[in-house]
Amino acid sequence: MPMTDAVSASRLTKTFGSRRGVVDVDLRVRRGEVFGFLGPNGAGKSTTIRLMLGLYRPTAGEITVLGRDPLLDGVAMRAKVGYLPGELALFPRLTGREHLEWFSRARAMRSTTYRDELVERFTVELDRPVRALSKGNRQKIGIVLAFMHRPELLVLDEPTSGLDPLLQDEFAQLLRETAADGRTVFLSSHELDEVQRIADRVAIIREGRIVVTDGVEQLRRSAPRTVEFVFEREVDPGAFSGVDGVRLIENVDHRMRLAFSGAIAPLLRVAAELEPVDMTARAADLEELFLTYYRDDARTTEVGR
Amino acid sequence: MTTETLFRTRGVLGVGALDVARLDLRLRRRATLSYAVGLALYTLAVVAIYPSFKGDTSLDKLVQSDPTMMAAFGVTGSLTSPEGWLNANIFNNFLPVVAVIVAIGYGAWCVAGQDEAGTLAPVAALPVTRRNLVLQKTGALVVQLLPTMVLTFCCVLLGRFFQLDVSGVRLVAATFSIWLLGVGFGLLALVVGVGAGSRGLAIGVSSAVAAAAYLISSFASTISWIRPARFVSPFYWAVGANPIGDGVAASNIAALVGLAVLLLVAAVVTMRRADLH
Ligand SMILES: Nc1ncnc2c1ncn2[C@@H]1O[C@H](COP(=O)(O)OP(=O)(O)OP(=O)(O)O)[C@@H](O)[C@H]1O
Ligand SMILES: [Mg+2]
Repeated sequence: MPMTDAVSASRLTKTFGSRRGVVDVDLRVRRGEVFGFLGPNGAGKSTTIRLMLGLYRPTAGEITVLGRDPLLDGVAMRAKVGYLPGELALFPRLTGREHLEWFSRARAMRSTTYRDELVERFTVELDRPVRALSKGNRQKIGIVLAFMHRPELLVLDEPTSGLDPLLQDEFAQLLRETAADGRTVFLSSHELDEVQRIADRVAIIREGRIVVTDGVEQLRRSAPRTVEFVFEREVDPGAFSGVDGVRLIENVDHRMRLAFSGAIAPLLRVAAELEPVDMTARAADLEELFLTYYRDDARTTEVGR
Repeated sequence: MTTETLFRTRGVLGVGALDVARLDLRLRRRATLSYAVGLALYTLAVVAIYPSFKGDTSLDKLVQSDPTMMAAFGVTGSLTSPEGWLNANIFNNFLPVVAVIVAIGYGAWCVAGQDEAGTLAPVAALPVTRRNLVLQKTGALVVQLLPTMVLTFCCVLLGRFFQLDVSGVRLVAATFSIWLLGVGFGLLALVVGVGAGSRGLAIGVSSAVAAAAYLISSFASTISWIRPARFVSPFYWAVGANPIGDGVAASNIAALVGLAVLLLVAAVVTMRRADLH
């Protein structure tokens, strides 16, 4: 049998009465990649994920996961999928161990070796009822539940929320191992930074629509960075009008913030003439990244155009 | 069967045929046992004090003096006969009401409540069909009413030592129909909960329906304009007449079974179309 894509959606739409969920979502997640799904609050990440698992019924459009329809063939599909919900809720009175045992049994797992390795690796607290656990400690149980049966596809809704930086690194390592094993990871996130660190490709969703799908490298290259110059006097932003890919964000109190994409040398050459006293540069955050795909956004103006 | 083949069978069927039911029963264990023990103690008390009321004719006069008021509490006919005593204190009111409360509580919680709490999603994301989920939850509903039914039944049987000698067959039929009544209302709560996506609404709507059905059944014998409505009341089907004295007609039991099956089908259909979170 030829290998199908891990996930493929076309014109996938879900509305809740008159409320938008997601609109015309097209997605292709290839086998063996780590795919990041990026978007601000309420963009439609969790909605898309629930459609993938067959928890929601699409209003229109199509979706297949591991080559199967989540509604018609959901049992066979979900046997090969591990899911970590966005706001993970566990049974408050049961302990971590009771959760692991129940889910292992329900999944008819033959071996618990890998599960127990994960428990050790993430130092999961097993003996207390989960209502007595911190958010991070509950999240660790959720991670083990999603990974323990070595699923072909992992669907993780904001998996690192609540994890401390050390565990985030351990988790990123786990994702790399999973992908190296030929399995696929689909994860949602608010943070461009996080996704850039661990994903191969990224789709960005905003207000229910996919804005862009691209490789992380390409995105990074085309992604704007933010540069801030501090001058001793008022400077006319028009000076930068000759430089390609530069956009003014704000200019107050002798501080000028610019978004730019592409090589930095031409920008620096112009800036040097204006004798700045200080400069900082950093990668764009998610909101700034969106703006590059919404150039006509009212809050920004093109320099000199 | 070796463990290996056992696992393979379970693998083919997806989630083990009983895992979800087992989990729910486990989570409801404390509530189930509390209700069962509470009702058993109540039943024991009712049984044990019977000998002191047996000869009290003023009780029967009370019923005759204001039959409508007494009917509201499920009391009709003679209070002092063994059958009348058990009907009036247990089978016309307490036992069915408690069974229905337990069942509605579970029915509303097992899908809508778990979905609102967020604990249903990890379970629904297992290799299990929606139909399988509903069947397992119905199984858990049926089973968790059992301790209450069986314990109460046993306590009533002890009545033989307290001059409460009644037909065992009719006792079984009455208990069984009350059990079916509970299952029916539990399924109603399940369906409303899934359809509306709200546990609160499920409890509200099914309790209102249950209260109406109870009042219709209770007043059917004393208020003439309510009398024709008795045939739509599942309470009436189960315990409306004189269950311990006359038994429950097979047709009534069939109606209760039919209602439960209908609601089960409705539950599967609604569940298939439901959005779970
Ligand atoms: N069950 C529902 N009923 C009504 N509206 C819903 C439902 N689920 C999602 N929505 C709406 O769909 C939109 C997308 O929500 P979704 O939860 O997918 O966002 P998200 O990207 O996961 O956000 P977050 O980062 O906050 O988790 C929101 O406007 C939300 O209000
Ligand atoms: Mg979300």
